Amino acid sequence: MIYLFDGSTYGFLTAFLAAFHDENALLVSKTTQLYIGETPITVRTDETRAQKAAARLTKLDKKALHDLDILLRCQESDNEQVAFLYLRFLAKTGGPVRNRFAQPCVFQAVTYMKKVALEIHRFHGFIRFMETESGALYAPFSPDNDICDLLVPHFRSRFPKFPFVLHDVGRKKAAVYDGANVFIAPLDQASVVISGDELTLQTLWKEYYRAVNIPARERLQQMRGYMPVRYWKYLTEKL
Amino acid sequence: MITQEKLTILTESAKYDVSCSSSGSNRKNAGGMGNGYVSGCCHSFTPDGRCVSLLKILLSNDCVYDCKYCPNRKAADVPRVTATPEEICELTMDFYKRNYIEGLFLSSAVHKNPDYTMERLLLVVKKLRTEYGFHGYIHLKGIPRADERMTNEAARYVDRMSYNIELPSEKSLKLLAPQKDKQSVLTPMKDLTLAKTAFLEDRKKGIIKRGSFLPAGQTTQMVVGVSPESDGQILRLTQALYRKMQLKRVYYSAYVPVVHDKLLPEQGAGQLREHRLYQADWLLRFYGFSVEEIAGEDENLPMDVDPKCAWALKNMHLFPVEINRAPLDTLLRVPGLGGKNAHKIIEARKYAKLTFEDLIKMRVALKRAKHFITCGGKFFGEKNEHAVRGLLAAAETQESAKQLSLFSALSTPENAMLALHGQF
Repeated sequence: MIYLFDGSTYGFLTAFLAAFHDENALLVSKTTQLYIGETPITVRTDETRAQKAAARLTKLDKKALHDLDILLRCQESDNEQVAFLYLRFLAKTGGPVRNRFAQPCVFQAVTYMKKVALEIHRFHGFIRFMETESGALYAPFSPDNDICDLLVPHFRSRFPKFPFVLHDVGRKKAAVYDGANVFIAPLDQASVVISGDELTLQTLWKEYYRAVNIPARERLQQMRGYMPVRYWKYLTEKL
Repeated sequence: MITQEKLTILTESAKYDVSCSSSGSNRKNAGGMGNGYVSGCCHSFTPDGRCVSLLKILLSNDCVYDCKYCPNRKAADVPRVTATPEEICELTMDFYKRNYIEGLFLSSAVHKNPDYTMERLLLVVKKLRTEYGFHGYIHLKGIPRADERMTNEAARYVDRMSYNIELPSEKSLKLLAPQKDKQSVLTPMKDLTLAKTAFLEDRKKGIIKRGSFLPAGQTTQMVVGVSPESDGQILRLTQALYRKMQLKRVYYSAYVPVVHDKLLPEQGAGQLREHRLYQADWLLRFYGFSVEEIAGEDENLPMDVDPKCAWALKNMHLFPVEINRAPLDTLLRVPGLGGKNAHKIIEARKYAKLTFEDLIKMRVALKRAKHFITCGGKFFGEKNEHAVRGLLAAAETQESAKQLSLFSALSTPENAMLALHGQF
């Protein structure tokens, strides 16, 4: 059976309960996928049941919901199904399973979680702030996975005095730190007035990037491996 | 603000240092800007495949020394510039705020004399920490022969310091860097190690309440192949540096001849030799090997297989090991198995006996390992020892074919110059 849910955590958990005993269950939230010859069951999110499921999973593994959160942020097309198989195995085993690498469902889930973790780590480095007239920092970027709010703690502890906006341009949303609070807001296009020094600093940075390179040792493949081309769009030094 | 021209000159003179890492410090944000990132963080990658983590820059390229290989040597005809401490501090703050960099890597030519240079470097890092409230990463190059008191003071402000050994023997140093000698590098290194130990004890006892002393330790680098030392000798020096000086990293760079001088070798050291040294270095640091197991005193590392394979081939009586029972230190000695895979195996086997197929499913690299392991008593490798060596060497050739083609662009004069500075 195909179980179609709304993409939310509670939606997932409701579908998780509905599909638990179905050996051929397939969990999806993206209606764009093709289902061959099958009509999906639309799962109506039931918060009360979902919360109970969440509590039970947490009891079995206190990091289960964290893992679920990460997996639901993963942009792989079958991420929800991978989360389902992983959590069902966890529930059936009755305790944490994340180190059972020989289990394909665990290995797959761990692989996806690592992808998200890697992208978070990469963007700790690849975020490029521009300084606005008011002194706030603005960074547009376009990550593969839905991670903009997960980047906030890193930058908040680093720049406690600077308000900043991490703008996921693709998902049209932003994580905002106003100098005290953090919130997530929908954001389509931001109009930003940059500070007087901003363009000069960008020029200096581009020059530094050029000067620190050793042209005779060109290794483009290696550069692209570490810094995939899809990220260049928002990297000042690559513009 | 620093001018673009100055930035260019001071960057191009600094870029030849190998060290790029920003790891090892968990410095906390204390109200200003920045903090440490224990695992290190790369902010960009240049077309040469290297990462940009720190703003790597010289305070001055105006040098009184005349080291033969250096583009900034006294006799060289190049434009000389010196940045002001404010210029460096402001640039660091501005770059850091935009998340371009993880911190500052500050070095300098020996400007006027060692004490004066060290004094200026100290001034910059002190200003950055106290006046500018910067808590990001700072890697500072030590200036040999500078007053120890200044060096020790600098260590209280920065995360890492490094003195470059450059050449693994006194004789070669005399030849190429007449104003340097081994002691001028090793002495401050040793002093800093002792001072750090003393500092940590005082902290423990509560005599010193706050602050740090080189939380990310010290590193160094050596040029390989300019002098006749064997890999065995070089690695013995490395091991001593790790064990006695508690260095965090030793970097190596293969020499390529550029200046034709009867005292210098005509042939450069290959990239592969440098690669093998790094592999051996990893065995010393993470795999529980000692140098005596890896290379005899006058021996070079073999070129056809990596040092761990070479060790295993000499110790075939220890293999195969059973993947379901072997302890971690044994797994780490299996050719082809790295730390991550060894840990993965240790975890996974707690729940079920692992088969060869399980290892494949877990994406454990088995090309080399299969000749040295059994899974549930079953062996999947080649029994003939001679054949094993051939297969290991073949695995090596396949993997390095691509890499070696990248090395072929080596023999340009610019490259050769860079090689001496530890880029290769």
